[in-house]
Amino acid sequence: MNSATVKRFIAVALAPSLILYSLFVFVPVIWSAYYSLFNWSGIGQAAFIGLQNYKELLSDSIFWHSLGNNVIFVLASVLGQVPLALLLAIILYKSNALQRFLRAAVFMPMVLSTVVIGLIWNYVYHPQIGILNFLLDALNLSALKMEWLSDPDIAIFSLIPPLIWSFVGLYLIIFISALQNIPGELDDAAKIDGAKGFTKLFKITLPMIWGTIQVALILCIAGSLKSFDLVYIMTRGGPAHATELLATYMYNATFSTFRYGYGSTISTAIVIISLLLIGTSQWLTSRRK
Amino acid sequence: MSKLAFHSPYSMKKTYSIRRIVSTIGWIFITIYGILTIYPLFWLILSSFKSNAQFFSEPFALPNQWMFDNFITAWTTSKMGVAFRNSTLVSIIALLFTLLLSGLTSYVLARFNFKLKGLTMLFFVVGMLIPIHSTLVPLFILMKQLSILNSYWALILPYTAFALPTAIFILTAYLSTIPKEIEEAAYIDGTSLWGVFFRIMLPISLPALSTVSILTFLHSWNDFSFALVFISKSTLKTLPLAVSNFADGFQTDYSLTLAAMTLSVIPTIIVFLLFQEQVMKGMTAGAVKG
Repeated sequence: MNSATVKRFIAVALAPSLILYSLFVFVPVIWSAYYSLFNWSGIGQAAFIGLQNYKELLSDSIFWHSLGNNVIFVLASVLGQVPLALLLAIILYKSNALQRFLRAAVFMPMVLSTVVIGLIWNYVYHPQIGILNFLLDALNLSALKMEWLSDPDIAIFSLIPPLIWSFVGLYLIIFISALQNIPGELDDAAKIDGAKGFTKLFKITLPMIWGTIQVALILCIAGSLKSFDLVYIMTRGGPAHATELLATYMYNATFSTFRYGYGSTISTAIVIISLLLIGTSQWLTSRRK
Repeated sequence: MSKLAFHSPYSMKKTYSIRRIVSTIGWIFITIYGILTIYPLFWLILSSFKSNAQFFSEPFALPNQWMFDNFITAWTTSKMGVAFRNSTLVSIIALLFTLLLSGLTSYVLARFNFKLKGLTMLFFVVGMLIPIHSTLVPLFILMKQLSILNSYWALILPYTAFALPTAIFILTAYLSTIPKEIEEAAYIDGTSLWGVFFRIMLPISLPALSTVSILTFLHSWNDFSFALVFISKSTLKTLPLAVSNFADGFQTDYSLTLAAMTLSVIPTIIVFLLFQEQVMKGMTAGAVKG
């Protein structure tokens, strides 16, 4: 086969993926950076205003509040999902029928659409008909009943259980495959040395899967920044922006108040913030080694 | 010797009882968590068979009367048939595109050496770092200008584009484990590169392709944000969007909304039950590589 034919094949085979991928993944990022310099309502002429939108963003208290909520989500995932998944993985990493069933049960929410997850939890939290308040009544704990999603002080925290519930399965499976990859000889060596229970856990098991734990932490950070659907379905970012995330704020600025330029500014900020966060976490974990 | 000493009957007894307590606590915890994790779905399916009155008064009870009518009413009043068709169509076309494009790209990346290979790989890696929601606004503007808002393409193209990197990583990794001798005989016989791709590379990648298929299908089937932003015509709405609108519109008719939700999760649950191990492995592989 001559090299011209091969070259042509390579070009033709790669072109569709590269074009589609550039157009729908890279071009949008550059476009939003461009539109972030304009004042534009979506129709009519866009007016160039330089860095005005960024100036506004930096003094926009809702933007900072949304960023804070994103940070709460990141912390909740890092401190909630990872330890819980690790604990479950240590119990469930062998493969008898019950363990396989429980694994599948924990993973199940991963395959459900976020719409269904959000709606189910809306019923859990509903002030009149919600099963949580109903349960509290039944347990004679009526004093603990709350307006789970409509009280601005607690709404963001009410979103954390559904968040954790829906993603624990992912980390569980990641940890289980790491645990199963620990060579059997290590187990034998531990037995000979008399390491058991917690000693074995902290001296052998956890150090062996430390690399995987780091990957999970990075995934958690990146994943929590991507939250949009759950919050949109459950609270639309309300009440009064109490549960607003960067992504929902961007959506609301663009499609509810028709400020395309400002919406583009927020989306550019999301890209910058997540690249910074991912970069920092990569740097931190690679330095540790 | 030390081994013998360690296994004295006394220390064995002691460690055994501590172990037993720890493992009992572990199992109590895991059983409670297992019940908690499965309960919301169980509750959803049970409640969708209840009448509205019973849904309010006895949220934890079994249905007094199994109301199969809920499903029929939900299906007919919410145009779920249309939404099912839209979701199926969009997910399957996006899946076929993803398989073809990622298959070709992976074949080239796994089997040929060329100048820009490293750069091409890097391109797909960097793209995975871009948060999907930051593209919503600019993609909306882009599609408006291409006049493909409110069409199947508005979903098929982005679903394919965002599925590509994971698919390419899974396929390239799989192909690089397969010896090149397999296709070398075909080259000597004069088979063209396209022939080798369709007749040899695709069939031998079948295990990896099936993982990619499950992943891509579930992603497109469950997507909400793209559908929310790019589709406003009711005849083009996909299931998640239709269910969410239905929930807004029938606020007080809870059993009907629950029935619609139940109908929408049936296909994904079937896929999950059938391909459990593959779904779990595929989704983790996809996530870890991302």
